[in-house]
Amino acid sequence: MSPPAPPAIELRGVSRWYGNVVAVNDVSFEVGPGVTGLLGPNGAGKSTILHMAAGFLRPSAGEVRILGEPAWRNPGIYRRLGLVPEREAVYGFLTGRQFVELAARLHRLPDPGAAAARAIARVDMAAAADRPCGGYSKGMKQRIKIAAALVHDPQVLILDEPFNGADPRQRLHLMDLLRRMAAEGRTILYSSHILEEVERLADTVLVMVAGRLAASGDYRQIRALMTDRPHAFTVRSSDDRALAGRLLAEPAITGIAFEDGHLEVRATALLAAARALPVAAREAGVTLYEVRPTDESLERVFAYLVRR
Amino acid sequence: MPGPDARAGAIYDLGYRAYDGPRLGRAAAVLALYTFTLRGAFGIGRRTSAKVVPVTVTAFAYIPAIVQLGIAALLGSRIEIIAPWNYLGYSEVPVALFCAGVAPEIFGRDLRYRTLSLYFSRALQRTDYALAKTAAFVTALAVLTLGPLLLLAIGNGLASDDLPGYLADHWRELPQSLAAGLTIAFVAGCGSLAIAAHTPRRAYATVGVAAWFLITLPLAGILVAIGGEIGRFAAWFSPFDLLYGTALAIFGRTPGADSIQGRADLPLGTYPLLAAAHAAVAALLILRRFRQVQA
Amino acid sequence: MNADIARLAARTLLGQRRTLLVVLLALVPVLVATVFRLAAGADADPGLFTARDLLAGLVVTTVLPLVTLIFATGAFGQDIEDGTIVYLLATPVPRREMVLTRVLVAWAAALVVLLPSTLLAGAIAIESADPAIVLGFLVGVAAGAFIYTAAFTWLSIATGRALVAGLLYVFLWEGTLSGLFSGIRFLSIRQYTNGIAGAFFDLPGDAWSPRLGPGTAFLLAALAAAFLLSLAVRRLERWQLGESA
Repeated sequence: MSPPAPPAIELRGVSRWYGNVVAVNDVSFEVGPGVTGLLGPNGAGKSTILHMAAGFLRPSAGEVRILGEPAWRNPGIYRRLGLVPEREAVYGFLTGRQFVELAARLHRLPDPGAAAARAIARVDMAAAADRPCGGYSKGMKQRIKIAAALVHDPQVLILDEPFNGADPRQRLHLMDLLRRMAAEGRTILYSSHILEEVERLADTVLVMVAGRLAASGDYRQIRALMTDRPHAFTVRSSDDRALAGRLLAEPAITGIAFEDGHLEVRATALLAAARALPVAAREAGVTLYEVRPTDESLERVFAYLVRR
Repeated sequence: MPGPDARAGAIYDLGYRAYDGPRLGRAAAVLALYTFTLRGAFGIGRRTSAKVVPVTVTAFAYIPAIVQLGIAALLGSRIEIIAPWNYLGYSEVPVALFCAGVAPEIFGRDLRYRTLSLYFSRALQRTDYALAKTAAFVTALAVLTLGPLLLLAIGNGLASDDLPGYLADHWRELPQSLAAGLTIAFVAGCGSLAIAAHTPRRAYATVGVAAWFLITLPLAGILVAIGGEIGRFAAWFSPFDLLYGTALAIFGRTPGADSIQGRADLPLGTYPLLAAAHAAVAALLILRRFRQVQA
Repeated sequence: MNADIARLAARTLLGQRRTLLVVLLALVPVLVATVFRLAAGADADPGLFTARDLLAGLVVTTVLPLVTLIFATGAFGQDIEDGTIVYLLATPVPRREMVLTRVLVAWAAALVVLLPSTLLAGAIAIESADPAIVLGFLVGVAAGAFIYTAAFTWLSIATGRALVAGLLYVFLWEGTLSGLFSGIRFLSIRQYTNGIAGAFFDLPGDAWSPRLGPGTAFLLAALAAAFLLSLAVRRLERWQLGESA
């Protein structure tokens, strides 16, 4: 086996404080290819994490590495890293094309014009590329910033609140763009305080709460780890009463409630319950129509982590 | 927190209620804005970096008074190099820098972030806003223009061997210092705010105020030195030379032969009149600006 | 030197209203020189006036530092205030190249304004006196403008209040304090400027003479420029997002 490639983004014991305010507290994680969402309420330290990952902030303690190289004071990493900052300011007097081409030239690309045209086409801005950026809408500015960050075809892309100010249609378009780039094997790390944006897009979630990393992984995995909180299922079957009677005998099931037309089943362990359910149904001679986790949405997971 | 059946949908009473008690009204709002602006001018209640400029400059405005009192205390006798009537000659640069550094902050944030509507939706009216802010800045500036004069008056009195005799000879200096210090603060304050009120960008306001106060100083010096019929009128148009002349008039002193006022040889009474006109025009410009500016 | 960054910096500077202010500033010495020609008495000494009052007194003390302050803080200050600096820094371009390019552009912009102003004002006022006075101040102003630009560029990276900090330096340190403590002449860009200018001419008697000899002035100026540039580069390498916002 060849030695494993270094992770695209790696934080090891990273803290950052401003005076006596701790913004990020001993955070460690690794991010690999795919889309990773950094989720947290405002002020949780998301931007601080992203700024450190992009080499624009020195960690007060710990180490930040991009593709194995230190991020702080190492302009060389920008050959393989693209950053889309949160602030929407662009050079208002440049046209979109000039702006992206400037980025291409600063990266010393062999054919800046062609690279810019490619990046602009990717974000679907070709129609507006020759108008000055000053007149763009928020969503257009966001896209032209992404084009500038993409122009040198970076392996790692970091976006700070990329969906801010985008309307629902642009939001879908942006999500689609990020998904396609992840499919090409890139590492994409973006922050958001809106659950829906993370749930629909991210393969992996990092949840920040009050400067600390509260959870990481697939959000369904995170949910499975939350053992002190019962899992809930909505179950519809041919005979709810018979099924309920049978299920109560299972140790994994802690409670059952009759709702209009279905059962609310609560269990301590997800897997045990999932195994017990079909067995119980067969033994009771009941047909299962629907088994659906009730509170598995990211929102519930997040609410749980934030309140804990 | 959810009730027995969260899915049924419910709005919980969190205990918010409307305030229907007595309200303090307009005067209290003006006073609050005045205090807030005055504290902000010295960076009180702001982060440390906001205090550096006002505190440094204020310190420089007091140094001449402290030096003079030191001399008086050490040598025992009254050697008056730095006096209330020529004090502005020593403090004009710190005063001008205070205006250039702080005046842009007075209106700047509200103009830049368009927060004016938040004020005008309250009991406060447009004129109240402009007047409260102007009054606060003039007060802040008086700390630099009047404070050292009072310090000198009190310190000289205490340093003299014969306090009653000193008071008999010099009691006039106290009201004169008050008049001079407040006039300088009022004219320079209104002038710099009139410039600062017209641009939301801090940089332009700073450069504008600095140019208006600090370019005119050497300029008037040269023009008066050239002499002739045009040159001498320059002493009227440089704000700090105008104010220096005003202070001389208030203290009833004749300008030194070498000073700009001495060489310009314009009637001393014209300085206070023109200073008043300067302040009046500036105040009108500020009021007009806030009557028209989009909130 | 980076052509793209230079072009961008030039557009940033030209696109600002403050450029207009700078041009007005540069007109002031020309106006003063004109007044001198029209109104000066018969006993006036044009050589002394040009050197002491017009060029050392007005151009070097006020117009030169203000013009360079406005241009130098415009180059990085604007970018940092708007947050657009990130687009430059998120590239592998060496920070030294960025600083050097911006300093050179701001310097060039300042020279375009300062040299014609100095030349014109000097030419109007000098009459039959030694034209080397004007030449000396042209060289001095050009050198001084470079050091001021380096200093104010560093300030604009290091602090969000570069303009006020620059004004404090120019008017408190070089103005008020150096009048009281003569040792400050070794740490004053104004005195370097005057010293370099003084190498080119001699005024009779002790009417006006620079406070530093030309050799000292030149050496200190070169050291100051190198030191300030390296400070600016160091500061940009360590620039952190959200610091001065």
